[in-house]
Amino acid sequence: MVGILVAFTVVMTMVAYTVLAERRILGFIQGRLGPNRVGPGGAFQPIADLLKFIFKEDIVPDKSTRFVYFLAPTIATTAALMTIVVYPFGPDIHLPFNLPLIGNTIPMVIAKLDVALLYVLGVTSVGVYGIALAGWSSNNKYSLMGGLRSSAQMISYELALGLGLIGVILQSGSLDLQSIVEQQSGHLGITGWNLFWVQPLGFFVYLIAAIAETNRVPFDLPEAETELVAGFHTEYSAMKFALFFLAEYVNMFTVSMLATTLFLGGWNGPLVHRLPWLGVFYFLGKVVFFLFFYIWLRGTLPRFRFDQLMSFGWKFLMPLAIINIVVTATIQWSGLFDLVGKFLKTSTGWGG
Amino acid sequence: MLALLFILFAGMAIGCAISMVAQRNPLYSAISLIGVFISLACLYVTLAAPFIAAVQVIVYAGAIMVLVVFVIMLLNVEEEEHRPLRLRSLVPIAVVLAAIFFAETAFIIFFVHNAPNTPAGNVSDVGLTSSIGAGLFTSYLLPFEVTSILLLMAVVGAMTLARRGGLIGANVGLVPGQASYARETLNPLAYPDLSEVAARTSREVEETLDVAQAPHQHNEE
Repeated sequence: MVGILVAFTVVMTMVAYTVLAERRILGFIQGRLGPNRVGPGGAFQPIADLLKFIFKEDIVPDKSTRFVYFLAPTIATTAALMTIVVYPFGPDIHLPFNLPLIGNTIPMVIAKLDVALLYVLGVTSVGVYGIALAGWSSNNKYSLMGGLRSSAQMISYELALGLGLIGVILQSGSLDLQSIVEQQSGHLGITGWNLFWVQPLGFFVYLIAAIAETNRVPFDLPEAETELVAGFHTEYSAMKFALFFLAEYVNMFTVSMLATTLFLGGWNGPLVHRLPWLGVFYFLGKVVFFLFFYIWLRGTLPRFRFDQLMSFGWKFLMPLAIINIVVTATIQWSGLFDLVGKFLKTSTGWGG
Repeated sequence: MLALLFILFAGMAIGCAISMVAQRNPLYSAISLIGVFISLACLYVTLAAPFIAAVQVIVYAGAIMVLVVFVIMLLNVEEEEHRPLRLRSLVPIAVVLAAIFFAETAFIIFFVHNAPNTPAGNVSDVGLTSSIGAGLFTSYLLPFEVTSILLLMAVVGAMTLARRGGLIGANVGLVPGQASYARETLNPLAYPDLSEVAARTSREVEETLDVAQAPHQHNEE
């Protein structure tokens, strides 16, 4: 329970400040300032935004399908937040003394699941309904188009995303995120990252598919402002809009966490075996890097056309992911990993 | 605790199932069906089969139902109006079938209660990913492969229907979602005079000159 509370608070705060960072960095990229008046350098802007969202008038369209209209933002937010519990934020921290109720070991993962990776994929796939139902229930053609585009896009890219991850699963032989992270230790906690092994292709596929899954630029067709007003959330206002906004950023955050966990060694880094709490900072640092990457892309790339999006997903990303699986399986079967592993990875534990 | 969870999720499953049958609006039925799938997944978790639960959510709730919802949204099906029951003659047959079903259920419950309590192997291993994988590729290999071929055939059939290549003459090219054009219009090299092409709209020219990467789908949206 304490873990959920702490993780929730940390993620929410980071999400709030990601929004601010996005606006400031976009401002920088586009040669303007961005919000900088509320507090030092705009530091209190997220709080002001939140207050604004709460006090705005909540408008519900007359002809909307009430129940589904209210259900949709709830689904989106819940599905986005539910995945946080399985990510390992760091290695187990051993204390020199006993805490009441907890003992002397603090696990840095809230729920240790045997099928953590599948759980993440399952919960994310349910998140589509938030957007699709929002588009349908608003009784607005722009919303409907946004919802339709989003469901088509998410089904297509979910395949590439899942196939991109299979390489990592093959290599580590586990669906448990903590053990996948532990296997990526190496010299200085860096050489063992899956990114440097046979998985650069898998990483590439995952990264692109993840951007499409979170509906970010250049795949933000569900809410393309220039054609669909605001896409699926055109008719949403006040706190319900805020929930969609929140879901999008939490999704960004969780796909970044998954990328970090599977490809960038999770909490691995120099000196983690001496000071386990450093792992938390390495983990969050890598996640922040991904968030920056997303914002950077948004400031740089134009939007795809829908047919380009579809053919890219099915005709380029999917075959690439399948090639990755075949190559990984072949190498795994030939035993090449174990040979190279002796030189790059330490056989005992995750030392540096 | 487990009993409480069972009652909660079983109740949810039954409630959603009844709502699925009773709803008039097809989208509400679809949402209820998703509810059934998710409650069943929760039940699987309480039965120590997390892999089955995850797959249930990914495949049924996450993939198949998304397609169903997609189609319902695409067709924008109107709410079914209330009309008098047709096929009234089938009602007694339905009652008999329901009675048989309930009798069967009661028999199973009675039988299980009286059965000797024999644990089936190591129960805690059954739901794990590795044991399911090993089972699929050793003792159940043939059914597994047969199912794969069945699915593959369905995919090939769907593609054949969607392309409709065999039903239309060889001199006609078909762009999905568009009208059919003569092959000469689609291949300008076989048709040296391009004046007709120049008079068309930009989208048609794009397709004619094969600049577009994939056929447009604007008509379907």
